[in-house]
Amino acid sequence: MNYGPLIFLAAFFALASSWFGVVLTPQLNVGQLQQTNTLNGALYPVARPGTAQQGLQVYRANGCAQCHSQQIGQSGTVFDVLLANAGTNRAALSEALQKVKPTLSAADADQLLSRIPVEVARFTRREEADAAVKTLSVGGAKAQFLVCPVGPDITRGWGKRRNVAEDYLFDSPTLLGSVRIGPDLANVGVRQPDINWHLRHLYAPKSEVKGSTMPSYPYLFEKRKAGRQPSSEALALTSELAAEKGWEIVPTPEGKALVAYLVSLRSDAPLFISPISLASAAPAEVGTNASAANASAATNAPASK
Amino acid sequence: MNANLNQPVMVDVAEPKAVSGQVPVWLFLLGFVLLFWGMYYFDQRSGWFKTEVYSPYISVADLQRFQPPTGGVDLGRGRAIYENVCALCHNPDGAGKPNQAPPLAGSEWATGSPARMLRIPLAGLTGPIDVKGQQWNLAMPAMGAQMSDEDLAATLSYIRLSWGNKASEITPEMVKAIRAQVGNRSQPFTGPELLSIPEK
Repeated sequence: MNYGPLIFLAAFFALASSWFGVVLTPQLNVGQLQQTNTLNGALYPVARPGTAQQGLQVYRANGCAQCHSQQIGQSGTVFDVLLANAGTNRAALSEALQKVKPTLSAADADQLLSRIPVEVARFTRREEADAAVKTLSVGGAKAQFLVCPVGPDITRGWGKRRNVAEDYLFDSPTLLGSVRIGPDLANVGVRQPDINWHLRHLYAPKSEVKGSTMPSYPYLFEKRKAGRQPSSEALALTSELAAEKGWEIVPTPEGKALVAYLVSLRSDAPLFISPISLASAAPAEVGTNASAANASAATNAPASK
Repeated sequence: MNANLNQPVMVDVAEPKAVSGQVPVWLFLLGFVLLFWGMYYFDQRSGWFKTEVYSPYISVADLQRFQPPTGGVDLGRGRAIYENVCALCHNPDGAGKPNQAPPLAGSEWATGSPARMLRIPLAGLTGPIDVKGQQWNLAMPAMGAQMSDEDLAATLSYIRLSWGNKASEITPEMVKAIRAQVGNRSQPFTGPELLSIPEK
């Protein structure tokens, strides 16, 4: 018996269904993605400046994505109630504060009130936050809630909110990365906007981050004879790393492009699809560039020890 | 030998036979439970294939509940903008910095007439002014000219309500009105010029 047509059809349908699911559906979903507006009305995302666009290729060529991911995760969203102004009736406000947060003693409430503007409570449901804001609005006091994404990545200070497809609109190719031997870089331009820090870090990682396992990239720099005036681009290095007298270390165009790309990596704009209040509560320690391996075990980071 | 040939061949295994039996009821029930669980899981996590919905949000309606408050004056936003833009010179606690910017906390300019205060970020300020009994002679660029009405209103309201300041809020409508009056003026205001503007 001739099973040829049957085998052909079975193979055809198996391949066609996976093509529909893996190629066509995502293409229809996000293939036509356009710039959108942030919650402030600004256009988002904006294209990277030219050098940063070149830097993406340097990032790619050096395999940075082998050790650094560019995707912030988020496990939930909470509402932090911010007390912005104490108003005139302090006693009533202190009472209202204890009503909102029953565990608070009167002394603690007064202590909180002395630090205005301050976040006083955290809720997981919108209704509770609305009720708390209402309770706290006594005697001209002003309270409001802030929308704060939470999750392990955000606790580490790596990002402010989860990444969405729009964040990568101008990346070609998209360098998501999958391994976190180093910290996530989706938001590194917000964490560390200092270009000189990045240059020194690329030249000698351990000089900036103690115990860093990142290799150095000396070929993104050149050592040259200093002119009468030292170059404004020369790295300010510690004495054991600095070049001998009369010489200086300056970044090559590739090095400058890579750093321009790194500081252009920021995904903190408040979007409808990934909402966040601009003032995120309790900013996690600024610039925690610690690698995932020693920050928390709740990731897919390989144990790098 | 012949006797053996005449004997029938003994078949020791019976042919298997298909008989109909009843499927146990619990198998159906299990199937329904699994189907229900699968649909519930899909409903909670798929976002119904909407492009806008990413986990941890489950639907557009859910996403709507997590939007920051709009309308009115968002002091949280005001604080963020203040700390990004203004605090470099005016200090995060509004105390000002010598030779960079006068204080905002307790300043009669920051807590006084909105019409005068609003003109400073919209067009800039230059020349000598008195703040809290001390003379300052510096220049401030038009830091707020590029901000949206909402952002500028939130920032100025934050200044007027923080660090012990207890002045009125500034609304986006007020910003819009003053922005129209300032027009596309390129010269910064001076102290005496601001004082000549009526308080209202």
